[in-house]
This record gives sequence, structure tokens and C-alpha cells, in this order.
Amino acid sequence: MDYDFNGKRIFLDDMLERKKLEIFLNIQGIKLDKNLDYTVGIYKANELIATGSFFKNTLRCLAVKSEYQGMGALNTVVSNLMNEQYKRGFTHIFLYTKCNYIRLFNDLGFYEVARVEDLLEFMENKSNDITNYSLELAKTSIKAGRVASIVINANPFTLGHQHLIEEASNENDVVHVFVVSEEASVIPFSVRYELVRRGTTHLKNIVLHKTGDYIISNATFPSYFIKDEENVVVVHAKLDLEVYKKYIVPALGITSRYVGEEPYCSVTKKYNEVMKGSLEKDGIICKTIPRLSINGKAISASSVRQYIREDKVKEIKGLVPETTYDYFISKEAEGIIKKIKNSKNRH
Amino acid sequence: MERLRRTMMFVPGSNPSMLSDACIYGADSLMFDLEDAVAINEKDSARLLVYNAIKTIDYGNTEVVVRINELHGPYGRDDVEAMVRAGVDVIRLPKTERKEDIYEVEAAIEEVERKIGREIGSTKMMAAVESPIGVINAYEIATASKRLIGIALGAEDYATNMKTKRYPDGLELLGARTQIVIAARAAGIYALDTVYTHIDDEEGFKNEVELIKQLGFDGKSVINPRQIKPVCDIFAPTAEEIKKSENIRRAAQDAKEQGLGVISLNGKMIDKPIVDRANRVLQLATAVGLYKEEI
Amino acid sequence: MKIIKSSMVGTLESSDIQIRVEQRDELGIKIQLKSSVEKQFGKQIRKVIIETLESLGIDSCLVIAIDKGALDCTIKARVQCAAYRAVGDAEKINWEVIN
Repeated sequence: MDYDFNGKRIFLDDMLERKKLEIFLNIQGIKLDKNLDYTVGIYKANELIATGSFFKNTLRCLAVKSEYQGMGALNTVVSNLMNEQYKRGFTHIFLYTKCNYIRLFNDLGFYEVARVEDLLEFMENKSNDITNYSLELAKTSIKAGRVASIVINANPFTLGHQHLIEEASNENDVVHVFVVSEEASVIPFSVRYELVRRGTTHLKNIVLHKTGDYIISNATFPSYFIKDEENVVVVHAKLDLEVYKKYIVPALGITSRYVGEEPYCSVTKKYNEVMKGSLEKDGIICKTIPRLSINGKAISASSVRQYIREDKVKEIKGLVPETTYDYFISKEAEGIIKKIKNSKNRH
Repeated sequence: MERLRRTMMFVPGSNPSMLSDACIYGADSLMFDLEDAVAINEKDSARLLVYNAIKTIDYGNTEVVVRINELHGPYGRDDVEAMVRAGVDVIRLPKTERKEDIYEVEAAIEEVERKIGREIGSTKMMAAVESPIGVINAYEIATASKRLIGIALGAEDYATNMKTKRYPDGLELLGARTQIVIAARAAGIYALDTVYTHIDDEEGFKNEVELIKQLGFDGKSVINPRQIKPVCDIFAPTAEEIKKSENIRRAAQDAKEQGLGVISLNGKMIDKPIVDRANRVLQLATAVGLYKEEI
Repeated sequence: MKIIKSSMVGTLESSDIQIRVEQRDELGIKIQLKSSVEKQFGKQIRKVIIETLESLGIDSCLVIAIDKGALDCTIKARVQCAAYRAVGDAEKINWEVIN
């Protein structure tokens, strides 16, 4: 029984508190992640002895001062974070941690989803949800010789995306298209998914899926305990591939993955490189399709968003399928267009 | 004779391990808090924890008190219903300001007692004064109900309301403390002092306990088991007091046996309050093992 | 009572039990229990959970429980609270059955 520990929220825009926290975390060997919605500190008298945070539905930056380990401070931190999560409506919760803490988190009700060698462990608070996801996917499986897969964000769905899917559709019996469901883009998932659907109705061998919580974007991937900045995208790619190879490939009998060539973003380029190497090692064909270009310029979703931001919606006509264009000139899109114009984020 | 209430240990109603372990520390009363110690979104879970604990756990001779949320808020009524049903000994009101506060809670308690067939009046009450107006109304509060067994001071809120803060010598609380003790004595109920939050300052704590004993308080709220023994030691009677009280009791016994209407000892008349106090002293002494009742 | 949403009550601290209740289409109460004392008390813990839910008239839900050595009365309290949090807001506690 401890009358002595007490938990208090730490507000990260209080510079002094933030600095104290950063120092504390540094001693424990981790950094403060740049994406955090909520942080709690556990104190004994006025001394900070443990802390934990979360960003959306993932727990991050958990640390307990060495002298206080084994005293249940982590239980207090995780309980506090989970209670706050439930208040915010998140019930399916994930965490990223170092591999030597797996047992500790098992005791707190977290189960492994996937891991990257000895670097990173990805866990969730349900014992079989990823397996259920896999089983649900398997229900949509179509037995065939050539089964392709594509993962796209489609922010929004352009002629480039459509071209990628059409290529895969021509060369395979079935194509499973996964639209990233994480809400890290200015256009919400429901709209992105719908535009993909509308833009692929002419193809008869497409199956649409959402990626679910198991695949997240590089922008939100927790990089704070990977020492080498450059390595972050490599670890991220490896983790996504573990999930993909362990749960998605077997469920759908996937034989290949199609990806669009990335001429602009170095992070995505590196990610694709790692992916190609890893998939080919396991006998999955990784096909890179050159970007569709118009007038010598590769089509990109970000230029579409830029036109919209600058109130030049008509200019996107040559860059997107008719279905996407019709959407953006319709009344339906008014809210989204406003949102794009107001967003300062380039994503 | 009335039970001892030298120490009332505060236990957060939201903590299951404290709820089950608390009675091993030897406090005279346990106060399970549903009010300030419990976060807003855990009011429902704490209420059920305390309800189930009281119903199931054997707290022995320790008195079980629950501090409910104020009746006018969203939680108070449900707290009353749950605690009366659970069989709590005493319901403690937060922030009592006038006799009407007592009437309202009493009515709520009685309604539940009737509903479930619990003996009407069996659930006792305790008032906690935390504001200037409460201090001024201390006597009317103390006499507002037969169920009221005691009146306490909540100093943290009181000091804030008085636009001051707590100091080591407690001078800012003197007015409130004396008013409350006076009211309690006039009404014939217990006076309980407030909590001392500097758990590591043993010296400071002892000084405060000596002070409130001198003022006439019956006991003190504690927030940590370490505070229990010092209170019991300080409230323990001296050998001289014990001897005096023994003699008074013998004199009273004598007078009874001889069928005399008046008790006298060494030429002085001994009236009821003095006999009561002597019995009290012996009760306190027995509790700390300094005296043994001879049959 | 019908479970219509997810809820969670309790902490992972010693002597407590964290109870999560979720809606389930199939009939029956399914329990996923994690306890350090599964061998000695697993059966008893499950029994208390089921009895508490049944007394509230719940015949179908998923319960995910992480036990840290909670007493029966604590388990009951946590399950009761999780159940009430998982049903519609209009439901007021029925004290007669909580007994």
C-alpha cells in the first residue's frame, strides 16, 4: 500500500515542466516524442519518479526511475493513461517498447502484435485482435494464382493512384487495395476511401480494405527511442512489414505488392527500398510502377492539395480521375475544401 | 459509554487495497472518502468499492465513517443510498454551513432507512465545518439532529475561505477551533480536529496534537498510519489523572451502594460531568493499556 | 440489462482488478482473465465475475480482466461499475439486485 506516490498531469507547453521531463527521460535513455496528446508524472513528495504519455491510441515515453523500478510505479502510470484513454473514447490501445520489457507489459494486459529484431516491440491491449483482423481479411480472400496488394493513403485519389491500381489489375487475378485508415491526413479516411471506391468501379478484380490501427504513417511513428535519426524509417518499415508478412499475406494468399515510384520524398524512398528487400527475401514480388506523368511532371497528391489550397480547383482536372474531380466541384466537398485551405500542414 | 474517537483515518474511497487493509492500523475510526479524494469520473466506481467493502469486510470495533459528496451535487444522493444500504456507521457531510444542511441529509438518510427496513436513526451523522459561516453556525449545526455524533474542522478549505493559509503555530485556526469545541461541548457531542498534511514533520504534528488536546478536542483526523500512535500517546492520561479518576469512580460507586443522592470525595461534591470525565479518562487509559478494569 | 458500449473500470495496482466490458453478439459471458494467481484463484475470480453479471441480468458480453490480487468484494465492485458504464445512461443502479 502506498500513500506516497501521487500522479499529476504534466502540460508540455509549460517550458519548465517540459525541460524537467526531457532531462528525466534522457537519464532513462529515451527522448521526448514529438507527438504527444497527454502526459502524466508520478511523484514521490516532489520528486518525479515515473512518467508516461500517449498520442491518440498509442502509449509512449514510459519510464520509471531505476531506484523505483519493481514497485508498481509503471502500473500506476499505465492505469492512469488507460483511464484517460477510455475517457477520450479509445479502447483499443497500442504501445511501442523495447524488447526486454515484454513480460512487464504482458502483466499489464498487453500482447505482442509484431517485433523488429531486438529493437522494437509493438503491442496491443487485446490478446487476439490482430488475429481476428487477419481472420476477417481471410473471409474476403479469393483463391487465385496471382494475388497483388497495394497500400495507399490517397490523399486524395489521383490518376497516379488509379494508374498503379490499373497496372496491378491487368497483371493479376485479384488486387487487394488497402487504404490507410489512420487519420493523419487533411482529408478524412471516409472521404479518401470513397474516392478510391468511386475511381475503381471499372475494375472487376479489386477488393478494398482499410488498414486498421496496425499500420501507421511515418509522421506519427514513435521515433523517440531509436538512437539514430536515419534509422527511424528503416525500423518503421521493418515493423510494418512484420505485420504485413505475418498477418496480411497469409490471410489473403498475397503473391506480390505494387508500389508507386517515389521521386520526391526521401523518407518514402527509403521505406520502399527496405520493403522491396524484405519482401523479395520472402518470395513476394515487389513491383515498382513508375509515376504517371503529365507534361513531364509526375502526378502527386500534394500538388492536387496545393491547387485546392490556392482556390484553383479547376486545375486538378488533368491530375485526377473524373470521379475525384466531380467530387471536388460538388457541394459535398465544400467542408473538405475549407479544411484543406485552412490547414497549415503539408500532409 | 461513548466510544473513543481519538483518531479518524482518511482513506480514499477509490483505493481497494487501502479499503481492505486500513483497519489493521488501529485507528478508532476510518473515514472512507467519496468526496475530495475521488476524481469526478471515478465517483461511481468509488461508491461501489466502498459499498462492497463495507458490506463484506469485517472492520471489527473500528467505526466506519463515509464522507459523501454534497447533497445538491450529482453524487450525494446516490452516496447516501449506497452507504445506508451498506450499513455504514456514520455519514459525514462535507462543508456543513447551517442546520438546514443537516436536516436535508437526515431526511435523505431516513428515506433510505425506511425503504430498506433499517432501524430509523441507526445511521449516525457527522458535520464538517470548512467555512466562516459554518463556524458561526457551529452550535445550531451541532444541535440540529439526534443522529449527530460529532463536529469536525476542515482546515484547508477554511483557511482559503478566510483568505489566509495554514501556518505552523495554527494561530489562524484558533477562532474556528475554539468555536467548534465550544459548540460541541455545549451540544454534548464530539469535537474532531483537522488533518495535518506534513507527514514527515513529526515534531510539528506532535505540537499540533498537544495544542488541540489543550483546547479540548476529542481527537484528530489522520492521513497516514504513522500519525496514529502519537495521537493516542498524547491523549493518554497521566498516572496522576488515572489515580484521581479511579478515586472518583470509587466514590461514585460507594455513594450508589449507600443509596446516597450526592457523591462526595475529600470534602468536595462530585457532580455528573466530573464522574463522566473520570470514566472517560479511564476509558482512554484502558485503550492504551495503562489501566485495567477491576471487576 | 443490455451491454451497448465498451467500458473500463479499475487499475493495474496491487489488490485491484481492471475490468473491461464489451458488447458481444453471441449469447453468453466470455471471460479473458489474466491473473498472477490463476492456478489458485482463477476459478473463483471467474465465478465472482459471472455471478455478479448474472445478478444484474446480463447474459451476453465479453469481459477482459487483469487481476492484481483483488478481493472478491473488489471484483464485484469493479464488475458492477463496468456493467453500469457499458449500458445506456438512463439505467439507474438497481440496489435490490446489487446485494
